[in-house]
Amino acid sequence: MADKSVIVDRISKSFGTVQALRGISFEVGQGEVVGLLGPNGAGKTTTVDILSTLTRPDEGCAIVAGHDVVTDPAGVRRSITLTGQQVAVDEMLTGYENLVMFGRLQGLGKSAARTRATELIRSFDLVDAANRRVGTYSGGMRRRIDIGCGLVVRPEVVFLDEPTTGLDPRSRKSIWDLVTRFKEAGIATLLTTQYLEEADALSDRIIVIDHGIVIAEGTADELKERTGGNYCEIVPRDVNDLPAMVDVLSALLPERNRAALTVSSDRIAMPAPNGATTLVEAVWRLDAAKIELADVALRRPSLDEVFLSLTKDSSQTSVPDRPATSVPS
Amino acid sequence: MTAAIALRPEPSALQQWWVLTVRSIAPTLRNGETATAVAASVIFTAGFYIPLKDFMGAATQGIASSYGQYLTPLIALQGISFASISGAFRAATDSAAGINRRFGSMPIAALTPAAARMSANMYRCVVGLVIALICGHAIGFRFHRGPLYIVGFCLLVLLVGLALSSLFDLIGTRAKNPEATTPLLMLPQLIFGLISVGVQPAEQFPGWIQPIVRNQPISQFIYALRALAGDTTAAVSSPTWSVMTPTYLWILGLFAIAVPMSAVSASRRP
Repeated sequence: MADKSVIVDRISKSFGTVQALRGISFEVGQGEVVGLLGPNGAGKTTTVDILSTLTRPDEGCAIVAGHDVVTDPAGVRRSITLTGQQVAVDEMLTGYENLVMFGRLQGLGKSAARTRATELIRSFDLVDAANRRVGTYSGGMRRRIDIGCGLVVRPEVVFLDEPTTGLDPRSRKSIWDLVTRFKEAGIATLLTTQYLEEADALSDRIIVIDHGIVIAEGTADELKERTGGNYCEIVPRDVNDLPAMVDVLSALLPERNRAALTVSSDRIAMPAPNGATTLVEAVWRLDAAKIELADVALRRPSLDEVFLSLTKDSSQTSVPDRPATSVPS
Repeated sequence: MTAAIALRPEPSALQQWWVLTVRSIAPTLRNGETATAVAASVIFTAGFYIPLKDFMGAATQGIASSYGQYLTPLIALQGISFASISGAFRAATDSAAGINRRFGSMPIAALTPAAARMSANMYRCVVGLVIALICGHAIGFRFHRGPLYIVGFCLLVLLVGLALSSLFDLIGTRAKNPEATTPLLMLPQLIFGLISVGVQPAEQFPGWIQPIVRNQPISQFIYALRALAGDTTAAVSSPTWSVMTPTYLWILGLFAIAVPMSAVSASRRP
């Protein structure tokens, strides 16, 4: 327990008749970056709000940096940094002034706050803009100063709520670099995002939530594995060869993939549990049967496919207390 | 990057209050807020005084020694009302920008940001009052009862400012929409200002509306302020209990609405 920075245990929260969270549980280890992934309205922001003491849970318990969010919110606030979906700094002040202000609010003396502000301006690559009003900053710069203001004192846990929404690819990259630095500094980070590539690139672990429950949890690789892992895609030169191919592949092609074929199919997708070996086996059999192929490839599901398949499952089975399915590693 | 400061200092509420107060006040000089406050007071003074001086001067003859003397209490109230609206605009901006939300996740007591906003609002009110008194002085307004009553006049204006600011701050904070908040608050104060005894005596209004004109809060504040300022004419009333009590009650009423609601609003983290 002691090495966990965030422990969420069966948290529920309703707003009127809307059940935002329905018994959500997960943990974030020290120095771990966890991506909280889910479609709009899945409960990501509500989760972050509860963990940063902005909202109280109806049920369940959450411990952040050793402090209970309900019984010791002050302790939680001393240990965290929250970066919301909006940039929340004073637009009337310059970047430097904002950093000094947040330093002073965190209890630094005047000169310590100034020193720290100068350091952060430098490390966040904002030297040229330091004395300009934040209102004049570009989206990426605003986001950087926003995160910088949360780092005037060292947090134990950082919550980043959709930090790159609306940013251009280059600004997004610079935020990603920042998160990587959190990891190096040993700060636990909970990152909510709708972007799978972001979760994939940054997180040690991904928690997929939908309709207020955890529907899957694991590394990006594990999640991909869950949706069937690697598969072969085989395209014949002549579509009329498809039935013959099904016969030739026989046992390699499970019933599920067979059933997925329709009259309009132009290719066969089949699982490749042994990776390239399965592929070679299939090609060898097809070649022996003199079936000409237009294309053959070994593919891994993209995280997008994983996400779509996972969230589709959960919308079909809307059981409130469905336990989280954790992928064994 | 983050290793430079390893230990978190214990923040003091007093330091936080001061930092947040300065934060609200500092930009007012460079973002045009103070300049706008000066302009608003000057325009308001000129806009009423110049065209109405002769016409209303005749109507107020015997009531006030000059139209400047008659008009200035309204200018002062206008000034603090403008200050309170500027404060509401800032409060709404903070809410809309998620700043209050961010403060809510920081080791800052729930009431500290609200207290800092109110301090900054009082600064705005003081500035508004000073500008109004300078404008008033220019059109002939003078205090006639000595230093104690000057202090009383200023304190009363600031007390009204405090009550108004508390209410407007609450509206701005909850509305979270700076663009909509300003006109929303501007309209009632304009209407109340115009149908008050600040511009012309109640007798000049149509008979059916006179009771409203006389008893609405702005008029009551103006009666009280005129009594505190004094005048050279015999018609001026003294600041007796019967003149002052309605004003105190109105202010108490405003506080009775604003303070509990603000406390609830602030303690509920946004």
